[in-house]
Amino acid sequence: MAAAEEASRPFAGLSDVSISEDIPVEGDISVPLGSTRRDDEFSTLDEPVKETILRDLRAVGNKFVHVLYPKRSTALLRDWDLWGPLLLCVTLALLLQGGAADSDDQGGPQFAEVFVIVWFGSIIITLNSKLLGGTISFFQSLCVLGYCIMPLTAAMAVCRIVLVGGSGTVSFAVRLAVVTVSFGWSTFASTAFLADSQPPNRKALVVYPVFLFYFVIGWMILTFSPSQ
Amino acid sequence: MADDTEDVELDFAADEQERARRSAVIRHPLASFFHLFFRVVAILSYLLCDWISENFASCFVLIITLLSFDFWSVKNVTGRLLVGLRWWNQIDEDGKSLWVFEAKKTTRGNNIGTEAEARIFWLGLIICPLIWTFFFFTSLFSLKIKWLSLVVASISLQVANLYGYLRCKTVGKDGLPPDTHSFTGQHLLQRPDIIFGIL
Repeated sequence: MAAAEEASRPFAGLSDVSISEDIPVEGDISVPLGSTRRDDEFSTLDEPVKETILRDLRAVGNKFVHVLYPKRSTALLRDWDLWGPLLLCVTLALLLQGGAADSDDQGGPQFAEVFVIVWFGSIIITLNSKLLGGTISFFQSLCVLGYCIMPLTAAMAVCRIVLVGGSGTVSFAVRLAVVTVSFGWSTFASTAFLADSQPPNRKALVVYPVFLFYFVIGWMILTFSPSQ
Repeated sequence: MADDTEDVELDFAADEQERARRSAVIRHPLASFFHLFFRVVAILSYLLCDWISENFASCFVLIITLLSFDFWSVKNVTGRLLVGLRWWNQIDEDGKSLWVFEAKKTTRGNNIGTEAEARIFWLGLIICPLIWTFFFFTSLFSLKIKWLSLVVASISLQVANLYGYLRCKTVGKDGLPPDTHSFTGQHLLQRPDIIFGIL
């Protein structure tokens, strides 16, 4: 009886044997895979690259929509990318050109200045928030700050259109209103995304540089005057 | 002559096309071309910008666009095809950022590049940042400050890819990830054909 039982469960006696962790167990298992699936994705260069591009474009568009309707979501933070900020920066710099920047007067910001202000400013704000103990990563913060420039870029486009009509008091009032609204929108959107990652008693210290950053950009937009 | 103890690869199953592909000098001509194309055209545009357009802004935008395309294609396409290396950043559920560097083991039947392609890849990756560093010093000492901003942007884009791939390369050499216990994504460790290194 006992022998039969033992025969039916041949490894029963080994149930409490374990390998001590001091003994290094090593070996080599090579699993013969066929051509891996991921290689197949890129075996023809054309089709899958198009899909990758479309996927990236869709991700960028999705983030733009999230800036338009800022709610406390993690979409901007999880998959960061810097395409949107680059595009917005280039658009803003091109719109801030025109007229006064072509001649070398101090009429308007030079092209490279806009780039330097936007990127250098974003880097400084990110460093500031990290030094204050924020949990957000460097590139995530750059991503959020860059994408939230979108309302200000839209305001710049509107201002250019208004300036075509004339540059009197009325146009200044309209431009002031538009820039103020978009500045508030940008600041609100970026704090909606960044606020969660900061320690609670430091929120004002973190929001203040963001406020200043968008204020400077708004100021550049408002004081833009085309060459006569 | 191979001595008697060496293994000889017997490929009865491979057909003519497969064998031709494996013995070709360059397996991915399109990827090799594009790896070098954007970088070289960006450098040439920087040197010839006065002939292209008088406007500084259009030259700036052109070079930054070319280098962005170059960054994307080297990071996502040519690195994987030519040398089997890949690197990326992912945010896990806790919000922590994780840099992953991946190197493919050279097993048989893999479609990674040949030696010529690897040479093209690394030479392109290393020489172009050196050229841009040279441009940094020439623009610094000739006090063309607005070009300096462009050169700094270019250097950062090119060096980012160089650094990423160098880290992939050192991961490949070590074989083992430096700190397996702290890594939370267990599912990634179940792929046997990939060696990982994790920041």
